Amino acid sequence: MPPLMAIEFLCRVADVINGYLGGLNEDSIKDNFVIVYELLDEMIDNGFPLTTEPNILQEMIAPPNIVSKVLSVVTGNSSNVSDTLPGSTASCVPWRTADPKYANNEVYVDLVEQMDATINRDGVLVKCEINGEVQVNSHITGLPDLTLSFANPSILDDVRFHPCVRFRPWESNQILSFVPPDGQFKLMNYRVRKLKSTPIYVKPQLTSDGGICRLNVMVGMRNDPGKTVDSVNVQFQLPPCILSADLTSTHGTVNILSNKTCTWSIGRIPKDKAPSMSGTLVLETGLERLHVFPTFQVDFRIMGVALSGLQIDKLDLKTVPYRFYKGFRALTRAGEFEVRS
Amino acid sequence: MAPPPPQSNRSPSPSQPSGKSEVSDLKLQLRQLAGSRAPGTDDSKRDLFKKVISNMTIGIDVSSLFGEMVMCSATSDIVLKKMCYLYVGNYAKVNPDLALLTINFLQRDCKDQDPMIRGLALRSLCSLRVANLVEYLVGPLGSGLKDNNSYVRTVAVIGVLKLYHISATTCIDADFPETLKHLMLNDQDTQVVANCLSALQEIWTLESTTSEEAARERENLHSKPYVYYFLNRIKEFSEWAQCLVMELVAKYIPSDNSEIFDIMNLLEDRLQHANGAVVLATTKVFLHLTLSMADVHQQVYERIKAPLLTQVSSGSPEQSYAILSHLHLLVMRAPYIFSSDYKHFYCQYNEPSYVKKLKLEMLTAVANESNTYEIVTELCEYAANVDIPIARESIRAVGKIALQQYDVNAIVDRLLQFLEMEKDYVTSEALVLVKDLLRKYPQWSQDCIAVVGNISSNNVQEPKAKAALIWMLGEYSQDMHDAPYVLESLVENWDEEHSAEVRLHLLTAVMKCFFKRPPETQKALGAALAAGLADFHQDVHDRALFYYRLLQYNVSVAESVVNPPKQAVSVFADTQSSEVKDRIFDEFNSLSVVYQKPSYMFTDKEHRGTLEFSDELGNLSINAETGDSVVPAQRVEENDKDLLLSTTEKDDVRDPGSNGSAYNAPSYNGSAPSATSQPLADLAFSSTGATGQAPAPGLAIDDLLGLDFSVGTATTPSPPPLTLNPKAVLDPGTFQQKWRQLPISLSEEYSLSPLGIASLVTPNALLRHMQSHSIQCIASGGQSPNFKFFFFAQKAEEASIYLVECIINTSSAKSQIKIKADDQSSSQAFSTLFQSALSKFGLP
Repeated sequence: MPPLMAIEFLCRVADVINGYLGGLNEDSIKDNFVIVYELLDEMIDNGFPLTTEPNILQEMIAPPNIVSKVLSVVTGNSSNVSDTLPGSTASCVPWRTADPKYANNEVYVDLVEQMDATINRDGVLVKCEINGEVQVNSHITGLPDLTLSFANPSILDDVRFHPCVRFRPWESNQILSFVPPDGQFKLMNYRVRKLKSTPIYVKPQLTSDGGICRLNVMVGMRNDPGKTVDSVNVQFQLPPCILSADLTSTHGTVNILSNKTCTWSIGRIPKDKAPSMSGTLVLETGLERLHVFPTFQVDFRIMGVALSGLQIDKLDLKTVPYRFYKGFRALTRAGEFEVRS
Repeated sequence: MAPPPPQSNRSPSPSQPSGKSEVSDLKLQLRQLAGSRAPGTDDSKRDLFKKVISNMTIGIDVSSLFGEMVMCSATSDIVLKKMCYLYVGNYAKVNPDLALLTINFLQRDCKDQDPMIRGLALRSLCSLRVANLVEYLVGPLGSGLKDNNSYVRTVAVIGVLKLYHISATTCIDADFPETLKHLMLNDQDTQVVANCLSALQEIWTLESTTSEEAARERENLHSKPYVYYFLNRIKEFSEWAQCLVMELVAKYIPSDNSEIFDIMNLLEDRLQHANGAVVLATTKVFLHLTLSMADVHQQVYERIKAPLLTQVSSGSPEQSYAILSHLHLLVMRAPYIFSSDYKHFYCQYNEPSYVKKLKLEMLTAVANESNTYEIVTELCEYAANVDIPIARESIRAVGKIALQQYDVNAIVDRLLQFLEMEKDYVTSEALVLVKDLLRKYPQWSQDCIAVVGNISSNNVQEPKAKAALIWMLGEYSQDMHDAPYVLESLVENWDEEHSAEVRLHLLTAVMKCFFKRPPETQKALGAALAAGLADFHQDVHDRALFYYRLLQYNVSVAESVVNPPKQAVSVFADTQSSEVKDRIFDEFNSLSVVYQKPSYMFTDKEHRGTLEFSDELGNLSINAETGDSVVPAQRVEENDKDLLLSTTEKDDVRDPGSNGSAYNAPSYNGSAPSATSQPLADLAFSSTGATGQAPAPGLAIDDLLGLDFSVGTATTPSPPPLTLNPKAVLDPGTFQQKWRQLPISLSEEYSLSPLGIASLVTPNALLRHMQSHSIQCIASGGQSPNFKFFFFAQKAEEASIYLVECIINTSSAKSQIKIKADDQSSSQAFSTLFQSALSKFGLP
């Protein structure tokens, strides 16, 4: 048994159920067990995965939404199964509904990037990498053929595509040519290595002496990305040998939970002054100095910019003669961004 | 469906049952609704069905409602039907009599005009799993397979497989496998095709133990027409079906190289697939197809690197783990592939520890001269980690890197720093490592002993660490000032020492110390022997008795037994043999890799039977080439029986192609050491098409002449003082490791005689010639005019090994030789020997 087949499939089941029920937990499954059962029935038979494309599944089994729930209460009629078989099980583009119709044709493309970085105690960037994805939300009548090109595809280190992407145009000209599934989907994943800097810096300092440890953490913008850095959050685990901690910050709030997790929520970094957090940690009696050093996990969001520098050049529609609306967005957030002390 | 745990304390929803009385309540309500055709009935039915099923899932027996449920199932509402099917499927097995009731309505639904209902009914019908109802299955299945809707056909195909598991004979008698085969090759819908393939594979595999025809059919699946049929449609298949097809292709043996390249070109974009399972399955195909072409195999490693690394960093921890296990397997075979990507294996703070552990193993495996410093620095960071097991693992990793590197200066310093970190688990791990390090590099003893001497034995509690400390106290007692006294105090606390391992080491250490510093240790030795003799542990008792009698017999003999001069350990024993590793590689993209064990070690016997059988089949179909799975086994055997085999017999084992060597064309492996785990397969690789070289008969004559000649020279003496062991054995892994570790002791260029050049049409001719001079080849490759060889030889009566890289250019008649040797002083003598052997090549 190929191990990844099982793991990938389970991830897919989780995704689908999540999409249907808006959450995957004991209660949501209990309350909707009929739908869960119907889904599993279509997704796997005798141990072999069948239909796992969310689009197709939604045609076979309608998701429960608030409107239909309200309707079912009001009218007492709630069939969540469509009467017809999805046409595309027989169509040649297995991920697309047979013939959707829209009054407004529109395509939204989002670049969503996650920055993974590790910074060591000397402030040196040990590792920095961006994992990004291109998310597309398409509502176009008929069978559209889209092409999407980047201004700088050479920065991409490795790419993975949705099955709809044709490989040859990418290989020869780095152009994404595809017939999109209907609705929201992940067009491609990419990875960019060897980035030289991070948008913000976090500098922790710990000095311990005579059973007391002084802690000071500074956070600030490094190379102003032109957009505001939002939802900045620094989190770390106090080592078990620490008895108590007294921490204050110049900006934002500090929270220490009973499991010794310390969270410093900064929010937006002010332009004029770099926020800092400082205070003292009291060590266990008998312990002179701290031997275990916490790792600071940093969280942030930057709207409107893809830090890898990837830029979309243009998006064209072939084969279908409609005018359509195009929208582009970008977002970068911290993935595994950690600073060692 | 797993029963959910007892209900939470939320307000009761329809899916929350209250008890037994409810079942009879439900029964009554169902009965009332059964006949009703009033509008809205379906909705009240639906609520009732929900209640029934929720009762069922939490384990309340609602089978008494069977009759009522069946009566209510006459409806056009699909959700109702689905719930009813679920109910019936769940209880039919335990109530076969009642199941008969449902057959009727299921059969009727199988003829419904809605294909969805036809499919669902058929699926439920086949899921009843009641042996005495199979006769009712055949009809609906037969028409299901011919249904004009692909959904129904998909369901019917799997239904056939289900039928086979309930009653194999019914399935075979109805000739379903033949129908499936027809469908597989002709159906328009790829999902139907994929299901046919999956079902047929299972049926034929199970049948093949009894039926020859099934075995033949199963083997046929790996034949060219089938494989090409699937490959040509691969892009239409769903991602899961692609995995299935890929498995099939990996077992296919292409007839020539252009076919291999065609397949790889066709599948290349699959490496870019979003689904990790597809990527890994493609990787397997690529690796297995190129086994016989070493340089292409290297390119494949380069090609698959980026997609696999992406999978590691972008997936869930479970996905990363599965991929990392595969990377670990690959890195064991080709350590350099990831040596520049080591940063990908740095651990992240909140990764689960199973991923971290594997990453540490990867870091150990990819470490080489160029990246050791960075990797060790990173590993030292983890030693201060909050996660103690990972801190321990990372210290161990530092030690492993130290043991596999040639240049260890920096690492020793780091390890000694660990000893001073004053954390007991760090000290313990570091002590064990320092001990291993000293066994391999005794030259570091001064530095290490100075630091180890400062550690108080009271602070070391873990048995392994304590044993390591005691070993060092005994071994280096002459350099450690207070060794006898430390040992004495340890002996005094004999009774408090719970670990037998520590007590054993203590005995030996006291003995060693006694031989070096008798007056100071005499008292401790007496006490230790007395305590040992009184020890309740058998081994400790025996060893104490043995030492005692040995000392009684003769002290100097005792010293030569207990404390003989030691040679530094060059290579620590590998826990897994290369046979096992090759076996795991054959099972790439399976759980074997994740468990790091070949499948026969974790599957039960009856399942294993079919697997071994499948291997046999594989070998039959490729008899022209030696199956990979056979070669390693032979090699191990060869090692075991080495002393029994005569040289000629061994030739046959080493070079399975030698019988038919007349047809050997140049093989295509360029850089051989990387492929050393497959050198035999390389040698055996034969291709009829692409030669354009000297005609075969001449070659065969050359071989014969060469052999004759070598027998002749054995008697004509002018041998250099150095003699070689004619039966030297070295496994590829060791060769590779030694080649990495040893420095080049000699690098020369010789000219070759024109006759020799003329005979060098294929590498094999030279191999046999050199073998007759006791120089063995471990890997070879290239084609005219450039050939590359890796040889090794062993000194007679000594373990000292010589390694040679030899590049021959036939157009310039030059050969470049690089020699590496355990014993560098004799490498000049060996070079002379090698040159004389080489110069005689091709002489009549």
